[in-house]
Amino acid sequence: MGAKEMETVQAIEDLSLFEFAKFDEQAGERIGYSDYSYWGSTIRMFLKNKSAVFCLCAMITLLAFTFIQPYLPNQKDPTKVYLDPNTGRQLMNHPPDSEFWFGTNSIGQDLWSRIWSGTRTSLLIAFIVGIWEVGFGILFGALWGYVRQLDALITEIYNVINNIPTTIVLTLLAYIMRPSFKTMIFAMCATGWLGMARFVRNQIIIIRDREYNLASRCLGTPTSRIITKNLLPYLVSVIVLRIALSIPGTIGWEVFLTYIGLGLPVNTPSLGNLVNEGRRLIMSPSLRYQLIFPAVVLSIITISFYVMGNAFSDAADPRNHY
Amino acid sequence: MKKFLASLLLVAMAVGLAACTQSAEPEPPKTTLRESEDYYAVYSSELTSLNYLVTSTTLEFGLATNLVDGLVEHNHLGIIQPCLAESWTVSEDGLVWTFKIKPGIKWVTYEGEEYAEVTAHDWVAAHKYGFNPANASKNANIVYEAVKNGKEYYNGEITDWEQVGIKALDDYTLEYTLNRPIPYFLTMLTYVSFLPVNGKFLEEVGEEFGTDHTKILYNGAYRITEWVPQDYRTLVKNEHYWDKDKIYIKNMYYRYNKEAGTLAPDLFLQGEISGTGLSTEVLNDWMNDPEKKEIVTPVLPSTYSYFYAFNFDPQFDAEYEPDNWKIAVNNKNFRKSLFHGLDRISAMLTAEPFNPQNKIINTVTPKNFVSYGGKDFTQYGPLKDIVDRDSFDPELAKEYRDKAKAELEGKAKFPIKAMMPYNSTSSSWAQRCIVVEQQLESLLGQDYIDIIPVAMPGTNFLANRRTGNYAFLECNWGPDYCDPETYSDPFYPPAKMNYNWPEKAIGYDDPNGLCRYQNLVEEAKAEVTDLETRFEKFAIAEAWLIEEAFIIPYGLGGGGYQATKVEPFTAPYATFGMDMYKWKGQIIMDKPMNMDEWNEAYAKWQADRAAALAAQGQ
Amino acid sequence: MQSAVTVFIVITVVFLLMRLLPAEGYFEENYDKLTPEQRENILRSMGLLDPWHVQLRNFYASLLRLDLGKSVVYRPKVDITTILAAKIPYSVRFGLGALCISLTLGLAMGVTQARFKGKWVDRLFTCYIVFINAVPAAVYLIFIQLYVSRMARLPILFDRFRPISWILPVVSMSLGGIAGNAMWLRRYMVDELNKDYIRLARAKGMSGAAIMVKHVMRNAFVPMAQYLPASVLFTISGSIYIESLYSIPGMGGLLVDAISRQDNTLVQALVLIFSSVGIIGLFLGDLAMAIVDPRIKLVRGGGAR
Repeated sequence: MGAKEMETVQAIEDLSLFEFAKFDEQAGERIGYSDYSYWGSTIRMFLKNKSAVFCLCAMITLLAFTFIQPYLPNQKDPTKVYLDPNTGRQLMNHPPDSEFWFGTNSIGQDLWSRIWSGTRTSLLIAFIVGIWEVGFGILFGALWGYVRQLDALITEIYNVINNIPTTIVLTLLAYIMRPSFKTMIFAMCATGWLGMARFVRNQIIIIRDREYNLASRCLGTPTSRIITKNLLPYLVSVIVLRIALSIPGTIGWEVFLTYIGLGLPVNTPSLGNLVNEGRRLIMSPSLRYQLIFPAVVLSIITISFYVMGNAFSDAADPRNHY
Repeated sequence: MKKFLASLLLVAMAVGLAACTQSAEPEPPKTTLRESEDYYAVYSSELTSLNYLVTSTTLEFGLATNLVDGLVEHNHLGIIQPCLAESWTVSEDGLVWTFKIKPGIKWVTYEGEEYAEVTAHDWVAAHKYGFNPANASKNANIVYEAVKNGKEYYNGEITDWEQVGIKALDDYTLEYTLNRPIPYFLTMLTYVSFLPVNGKFLEEVGEEFGTDHTKILYNGAYRITEWVPQDYRTLVKNEHYWDKDKIYIKNMYYRYNKEAGTLAPDLFLQGEISGTGLSTEVLNDWMNDPEKKEIVTPVLPSTYSYFYAFNFDPQFDAEYEPDNWKIAVNNKNFRKSLFHGLDRISAMLTAEPFNPQNKIINTVTPKNFVSYGGKDFTQYGPLKDIVDRDSFDPELAKEYRDKAKAELEGKAKFPIKAMMPYNSTSSSWAQRCIVVEQQLESLLGQDYIDIIPVAMPGTNFLANRRTGNYAFLECNWGPDYCDPETYSDPFYPPAKMNYNWPEKAIGYDDPNGLCRYQNLVEEAKAEVTDLETRFEKFAIAEAWLIEEAFIIPYGLGGGGYQATKVEPFTAPYATFGMDMYKWKGQIIMDKPMNMDEWNEAYAKWQADRAAALAAQGQ
Repeated sequence: MQSAVTVFIVITVVFLLMRLLPAEGYFEENYDKLTPEQRENILRSMGLLDPWHVQLRNFYASLLRLDLGKSVVYRPKVDITTILAAKIPYSVRFGLGALCISLTLGLAMGVTQARFKGKWVDRLFTCYIVFINAVPAAVYLIFIQLYVSRMARLPILFDRFRPISWILPVVSMSLGGIAGNAMWLRRYMVDELNKDYIRLARAKGMSGAAIMVKHVMRNAFVPMAQYLPASVLFTISGSIYIESLYSIPGMGGLLVDAISRQDNTLVQALVLIFSSVGIIGLFLGDLAMAIVDPRIKLVRGGGAR
């Protein structure tokens, strides 16, 4: 029995029966990662969320429409004052009809084109401010979270800035820079990154010392790889969520600024301006359309971004991938 | 689980409600005891103080005039009458004014208790307070610039009060000595600067004078019995008032509401308040509703005069080409083309969409502001040809445009950029700029003029005007006293009001080196005895300014529409000062008037006033 | 103490920022009609003509005497404490009322959602949360005031003598809080319910309700304890929208108003109060958290973050 076995083993040991397999690096990787792809899974997860997909479609349509609207035929100029052919003077508060789809405002400007022009302005502000918030916020937050020596100092700076009323800063800015599109963006950028920075800092502090990172570091993984492979996937979901949320946030903030009198000049249509102009008409039922139309468009945009942002951040979280 | 939720809910409600209801503190308001003659209102701007010795805001002196009386007052036809002074005399040279104070007038506290008698010393005490720079009075300048040694005392150059031209000769005799003859001194007395104060009380309360309703004394028609800032205030008829038979409204209840302007129309319909202004936004609905339309009546415009000013000393950014503007603005045909090209009705529609022509004005001084010898100022001299003439004339404007183009060809760059700032916190102003821009550019051509509306922060807005940071600007001016002179102040160079620097216009200098306008005003000012000539000369000056198109008269402030149970034309009528805010003589009707009734009342009042003025003129 | 330094820096910066605003702002509409001498005297009486370091020193000196000073524009020569004393109670009452409602309803909502995850109740509440979070408050609040008041026959304005007029503002004020609390609780509970110890408790035969109360809720309360003291304290700052919509004479908007009218002393006092409140709130939060959750030790890090 024993000898027989030995024979077999010896037969196997016969080198001619074997050859060295080539080390296939790709195959090695395949075992470790299966067919997982981060972005693929993210998108797959996202597409599973029907309401988010719906919002995405709605959003894309709306966005596309905002930009092609001025080139459509029969569109009116958002700042032009339309005249009443009977009097030769401005066509005031003309109710919605086939000519002016959303009616005109108190000086005869076309509300339909103003709403789209306002949407463009507000989205532009929101995107610029959002990108700045994310970019600067992450940079600052990362610094804050990573460089331990700076933590106390930056925390102090944060506390101070956070406690200075934004209104003071904005009033000063509006006084120094005079109300305009640029001032608005500058003012929002000046204060908006705080929340993001703090958020990122907290995230980094949480993740930085997790066991798997500790393990990675012990195994000699370079910092760049820790950042790109270990930390970034976590942060992507957060970043996406923040960008998505910062858009309704910025629009809401713009409405608020307009409300307290620090908004854009009235001759630049924006959603904040339109809502605020409409607010003054609420006591007049026949003119209320001037509030309702902008409010509805505004709500559609903010809700879509919100739903999408949440869905995408869920989808982008690797823990939810399976 | 359900129980758990239910109990949570209950707790929430209980705690939430408890947190709310605890506050239902004092007794309910007197709404249940409402009498027909009481007045109810909501207001959105709160007073900062009741210290009438300091204030110069309309809001505050408009209230003060109901609490404290001065020497003289206007009646409902606009005739000056004795108030606390029973009679007065003026010296030959027009410098010394002596007033006899009525004896027996009482100061009362907010609770209605007698405090002291009103004497001539009370005016001295008030002026002494105002002349003390530490008190930072905003209305004392009216007095110290008029009385002898006033300014010197205020600036500390004189420390002896005896040298100042304000004296109480005895308890009932008050004497003002002026530094120059002022023909309109009597009307000056109806401004808040000339209200008395009890010296002893002032000393007692010291710094706290006027900080709330308990910290002032009352000798006027009403006293404030309650005032909680940003909440409510109550005015009650002063039973010790010397003229109490003319006070018909016994109680006035004011409730604070930040959104009062928006909500008042609804509150009025529900019978909660006695009157409401109707903003243009609401008016649309009211006018289209047959029932509501029946209670809409107009409001007379104020004496705030609005005009578009051409800046002769442009200091704005190079981006808007100030040098080019300077060349253009010095061309009369260019100015005239805008003067006749501006459709003021279009512009006014942004403020008054229903009857814009009612608020359009063709002169700087409004009609019915001041008259002499039964003749209104705007009927004097060349003004009478201007006052009813609409400056908007598209054909004439184009003619002037072509002339200007020919003359400026090669000298100025077309289109001429006209930088037009507006206050970004005023949405109707912003809209008006857009309308004016598009109207002028479409009439005169975009190759000729390029109006550029520029949003400026509300903070410090007028600094743009003062520093010349504009090319073409909507400005306004309210009278400081009841004389034609007051409307020349913004343009009269030595007054340093910094409106549009007519003295810097090229080609308008007289041989004496001063600008023509200044000489015209100078001449008129010198005339202090013959008022007819004085009026004539001021009319010439004003007409010159308009004819040369240094400005474009535009409109009046105020006006609009209201629905109110307060009977119109019962209030004291004045074009300046604080008498127009008096509740004396006013009556609450059972129901609001309609437009026809109002027009009838207006016609009757106008006839009465004309008769009264004519009688006075003789 | 570190937080005192923060407050100190904040008020100093605010003090200096306010001095950067134009002098004309102190006169509101009257600037033009005053003589130059008058303007100077008025500024002097406000103490604005001194060099800034002298002003700053005076300000610190009066602060050390615990004197917040007197208002200069908003209500000249009236003690700031008097002004605030009249306003704070309104804001606090409304704030606490809204806080109670938003806590209880929000938590109830969150629990329900977690319990019926994926069911229609969950979806319905999620819709609500999304709506409130996404639509700007300025928009939905005005529609509530306009339409709900009419439908529910509630007064459109606050009237301190009619308790019924308190309902709408308190409810509107709590809407945001309800959504926030519910969202947070739902997420927390869903995470928690999947944890092993809950499975163990189930396996032990513990009832669903007992698990909820003894385990999940107890744990859910820890982060809540952190923010609760600050929210209670911050009710004194009031709500700018609600208070102006319903005409409530509270603190909301006072800061914005004071800033736009350049009432320096009032702005400084408010900033001092709000920043101290923020820092005290944080501290109390840490304390409360440590009490609720024995695993947390305060000495460890100091900060709650």
